[in-house]
Amino acid sequence: MGKYYIGLDGGSTYLKAALIGKGKVIDTMVRSTGIDNNGTARKIAAELCSRNSLSPSDIGYIMATGYSRKILEVADDDISEITAHAYGVRMTAPKEYRPGMIIDIGGQDSKIIYLDQSYGVKNFSMNDKCAAGTGKFMEVIAQILETTIDNVGPLSLKATNPCDINSTCVVFAQSEVISLVARKYDRCDILAGMHQSMAKRIIKMMKKTEKGVDILMTGGGALNTGLHHAFEEELMRDVYVAQYPQFNGAIGAALIASERG
Amino acid sequence: MTESIKHENLKQRQDKRFINKETQTAAKYLRRMKELSGAPEGMEPFYDTLERIYVDMEYIEKKPGQKTIGTYCVMTPPELIYASGAVPVKLCSGNYTAFSVGENIAPRDACPLVKAVAGFKQTGLMPIYEDCSIMVIPITCDCKKKIAGMLSDSCDIMTMHIPASRNDDDIDEYIRQLYDLMERLENVTGNRITYESLSNGFRKVGYAQYELSEFIRLKKQLPYLIRGSHAMAILNSSSYMPADVWGRALHRVNAALKKRIAEKKTVTSKKLPRILLTGSPIVFPNIKIPLLIEEMGGIVAGDETCMGERGLWDPAVITNDSFDGMIRALANRALRPCPCPTFADNSQRIYRLKQLIKENQIQGVIYHVLRGCLVYDHEYKRIEEELGKLGIPVIRLESDYNEEDIEQLRIRIEAFIELIKLKQAPEKAVAVRRSF
Repeated sequence: MGKYYIGLDGGSTYLKAALIGKGKVIDTMVRSTGIDNNGTARKIAAELCSRNSLSPSDIGYIMATGYSRKILEVADDDISEITAHAYGVRMTAPKEYRPGMIIDIGGQDSKIIYLDQSYGVKNFSMNDKCAAGTGKFMEVIAQILETTIDNVGPLSLKATNPCDINSTCVVFAQSEVISLVARKYDRCDILAGMHQSMAKRIIKMMKKTEKGVDILMTGGGALNTGLHHAFEEELMRDVYVAQYPQFNGAIGAALIASERG
Repeated sequence: MTESIKHENLKQRQDKRFINKETQTAAKYLRRMKELSGAPEGMEPFYDTLERIYVDMEYIEKKPGQKTIGTYCVMTPPELIYASGAVPVKLCSGNYTAFSVGENIAPRDACPLVKAVAGFKQTGLMPIYEDCSIMVIPITCDCKKKIAGMLSDSCDIMTMHIPASRNDDDIDEYIRQLYDLMERLENVTGNRITYESLSNGFRKVGYAQYELSEFIRLKKQLPYLIRGSHAMAILNSSSYMPADVWGRALHRVNAALKKRIAEKKTVTSKKLPRILLTGSPIVFPNIKIPLLIEEMGGIVAGDETCMGERGLWDPAVITNDSFDGMIRALANRALRPCPCPTFADNSQRIYRLKQLIKENQIQGVIYHVLRGCLVYDHEYKRIEEELGKLGIPVIRLESDYNEEDIEQLRIRIEAFIELIKLKQAPEKAVAVRRSF
């Protein structure tokens, strides 16, 4: 039995993988999901091994999570995203983080997970019927504003006067943004407005009665500094960002794998 | 003339579409239930009943000329209906097709159960509704009150006031209503309710309850002898079968379960997380939640719902064997032990849940809330708090009568089951030769 473990997070947009061993994250990798989930997963696992000079037999257990978790044949078992994220933060949360609440912004859904003091899942709520409040929404808006997803955050932080974006539907919000562009609003202000409206929408899913706990952002959406800022402003409190936010699910899956292997 | 023919054709076409959709949905859920592994012998009468009512769309089985009395809730005593020579049918509905019709009748925030009842009544196509000589509607919430008014347009109804508390005055008031109900039943059936016939009513229901208590005793056994979804099918069918017929069918299931003990046969050899299902009623074909729990690797080991075990759990206890004593026993049974959230003080429910958790070694509670069912939703907080003290995790699953939220429910249920599994000792992996 090997002493290394792989977590695979087959998301709607990207396939993420994490390699852990000796209680820490050794390597991570991300690929576009594409149409061949299974092939991509196999390749990514093989690459993780070769890049870290490991042989397949060094891998004790592989755990899959995410939308395509059930079809990843390379994995030994699968676990839901919620459990995976809750586990992931054990490794990725900053030391001072008191569990907790997790806000996970994925490509296709966003979720709030409530943890007890020992990082066990207490409850969760999720939005998965609708693209508003997800990474996909950011991508659509970035495209209209002729920028890329990586620049959305930094640009929005330059805003002086964030616009109001009130539509709760991604399609309507899109036309709202187009009309703001036509009225010559500043791109930075539009982006800041978008982050505010996303944050507001996600906060609505949240229980505000939780006391003495901190909030941690995970998922690809947490890479967006503008969105992080919007959450802090809307909640009027500090929000932590997980280390390797995009890989939090994969790391969580790997951690569960390490308990099995 | 041509206009009216056209109109008639349109109505006929619409009716046909309704029937098609209704029967297809019912057949699908019946099939999913049958596909779930581990069912004991003797399930056929229950499956057949659900099929008869929802797929074949027939009346309930009864003697020629026998009247059908429509009832809602556990607060209409079936003993009294049997005593009048009639047969009760419980009309609380879980029907997706009727719900979609009812959505245009009832307000948006009304609960799906009431919308489905409104839908069935509007179409006039559901035999068990159309066959009722009278519908008895205990007013357990605002939606029931308004639906009673709506139903009275096309059917003879009797509402029963359900008090907010259960002191002696409340019981006395309820007893007066039972005497009113008795008179209404006598008028409808033309039969006198006598000491003798009421005793017979008690015997019929008592027998069914005896078999149920035996069933619950067997169901508690570990490892499990039966799945909760199958138990739910049995309990749901009690709404559409005469109590004695149902009791006899359950007797055969009980015998099959005892045989399983003797043969050391169980549902599965795996350790399935034991879930207690409580909250708003689960009515066929809206059985998606118990099915999902068991399809995702859990077992519904406890059931505290009114179309499930609660419906027949509490027996009427006669302490004074006069006629009035029997009526009083019915009133006491309907109100005093009932854990329905219609009552202002409902510490009974907490007590009952704790009892079920202990008896069935429950590891997690799924709290079902039908959208718009405020009384159940209100109690969630209190129950979450109380069970939190016991270290029992609870999740609230809100849903209504459609299939759009199945994937969302599935992931929530799956994560909940994982949460319980992770508390148990992890399964160790078997060594594998790995290659990429």
